[in-house]
Amino acid sequence: MNRLSIAKVAALVVLGCVLLAFPFIAKDRYQVHVINTVGIYILISLGLNIAMGYAGQFNLAMGALWGVGAYTAAILNTRFGIPFWLNVPAAMVAAGIMGAVVGLPSFKVRSHYLAIVTIGLGEVINIIFVNEQRLTGGADGISRIQMPSLFGFPINTDERYYYLILAVVLIGFFIARQILKHRIGRSFRAIRDDYQAAKAMGINTAYYQILAFVISASYAGVAGALFAHLNTYISPDIFDFSSTLFILTATMVGGMGSLAGSIVGGLALPILQEYLRVIKNWQLVAYGIAIMVVVLFIPGGVMELMRRLRASRALRWLSAERRPEERFEPEETNVSGN
Amino acid sequence: MNIGIFLQTVIGGIGIGSLYALIALGYSMVYRSMGLVNFAQGSIYMVGTYFGIIWYAGMVMGLHVPYPIALIIGVSLNAMLGVLLERIFRPLARLDLMFMLLGTIGLGFVLDNLFVIIFGAEGFAVTSPLPNAPLVVFGIRILPQMLLLIGVSALLMVSLQVFLKRTRSGKAMRASAMDNEIASAMGIPVHRMNAMTLAIGSGLAAAAGILAAPIVYVNPAMGSAIGLKGFAAAILGGLGSIPGAIAGGLVFGVLEAVSAGYVSSSYTRGIAFLVMVVVLMVKPSGIVGEVTVEKV
Repeated sequence: MNRLSIAKVAALVVLGCVLLAFPFIAKDRYQVHVINTVGIYILISLGLNIAMGYAGQFNLAMGALWGVGAYTAAILNTRFGIPFWLNVPAAMVAAGIMGAVVGLPSFKVRSHYLAIVTIGLGEVINIIFVNEQRLTGGADGISRIQMPSLFGFPINTDERYYYLILAVVLIGFFIARQILKHRIGRSFRAIRDDYQAAKAMGINTAYYQILAFVISASYAGVAGALFAHLNTYISPDIFDFSSTLFILTATMVGGMGSLAGSIVGGLALPILQEYLRVIKNWQLVAYGIAIMVVVLFIPGGVMELMRRLRASRALRWLSAERRPEERFEPEETNVSGN
Repeated sequence: MNIGIFLQTVIGGIGIGSLYALIALGYSMVYRSMGLVNFAQGSIYMVGTYFGIIWYAGMVMGLHVPYPIALIIGVSLNAMLGVLLERIFRPLARLDLMFMLLGTIGLGFVLDNLFVIIFGAEGFAVTSPLPNAPLVVFGIRILPQMLLLIGVSALLMVSLQVFLKRTRSGKAMRASAMDNEIASAMGIPVHRMNAMTLAIGSGLAAAAGILAAPIVYVNPAMGSAIGLKGFAAAILGGLGSIPGAIAGGLVFGVLEAVSAGYVSSSYTRGIAFLVMVVVLMVKPSGIVGEVTVEKV
């Protein structure tokens, strides 16, 4: 039941206009580049959110799976001249298959153990990037990846690429919403909240666990192909554990267990970093402190904060909204509680 | 296969393994007493190394403190840091694993970057207090510093066991780790015990760092890789088990050295992790296999 009030429609229209006009209102090309990277992070974060926030499966190999997507696209493009449009699905499939492999241990191990196993497998994948020099170019990486073109129209600037990324992120977001709304999403939440009960209810837990890994890895794969074709150069150090940490932090700052949280976190973190540049060396220290503050005081992230605000009486009184029957339902979040 | 070279590889592995074991002990002890997985352990190891080495290497007012005294200063300072950290970890320990993970990683991030600000990002090599020429025993060449690392680590591990089993405080620590609430009902100050656990864990990490400093390179980023390996070692032995942490560290170290020597040096890191994954799949409670109650 989605009642569209005039205010909501207006807000959506304004948002849409801002999104479409962004390359024209941006201060310089660098800003557009930052936002393009943000879009790529949002995609990976959506994937991580589906696996971790909804299905409760620790997939801490996301950085490496992102790399699998990027390397697939890069190798296909530089070796065989295959264009961007075919590389994206190829990267998605390749990363999805690797995701299934990374997810196999989830049958046997859970929680910290699954976390360390996926970290370990991610490291192994990254080491393969470094060592299989003939295929991946080793530590030097792969350069001269072509930027895409659409019916002869080259998408070769950050401004043009922006619309491509915007479209992919929107599609990714709506697919995620649809997945989570229906049977798959319900099974994910059941497995996350009570594994034994889900099993007893007849949910094929093994199938859904692997599915969670495959879906999250596919998002990372698409993001990888986008990244490779945007930057035209990739190297293994981009896809190491610190990239997983960055995505994890962004997702948790935004709100684990809420798709909008991925968008908020994906936007907030790089922008926070830009602002913290003022304090030079202390930037990273402040960044670490910010993470700790979020974890200790608002473990649900920004989305949790907004939910609290919306639920608070004062705000409801201010907005003169007095319909007790239409109380805000706490969305299926609460990864912290219990 | 040359048996001499094989033994030499294994001894090297035991040396690095002792380093991993001392760090793994920190993970396991803190997990056991607070139910907290402390991912800042790698950074605590780095901080401890600096706390000791700066005195030895003459970075404080040009003082060149003798190595054993620098070792003691470093361990004590890091133990004090551990006591402080207990205050930060107390609220974290109540949260879900995901938040502990991120909260402690955030802390590690703060420590790492503070040290980059203070000492600069580039590292330095430390000269060993012992002669640099390797000892030759039956054709096996061993660095004296490596022997020192193995010897002191073994001594520390034995004294830890004696402390936990024989002394009053050690027993109180074990009791509070077993059941927080009952222990506090019996009059054991649980928070103080947790602080002591963190102090011991951090002290051991400092000892590991200072002993290994002449073999490895010292820089503010040195904690991340070793912290991850120490955690893998703790998991390998069975997280929360003290003999497990020691066994896990040694096995991980030897495995790494042997695979570097005989399989492929470029895949070393990967092989050690792969073996860990396989062990966990086959026997999730770790190689020592102590039955621990799952904390929910």
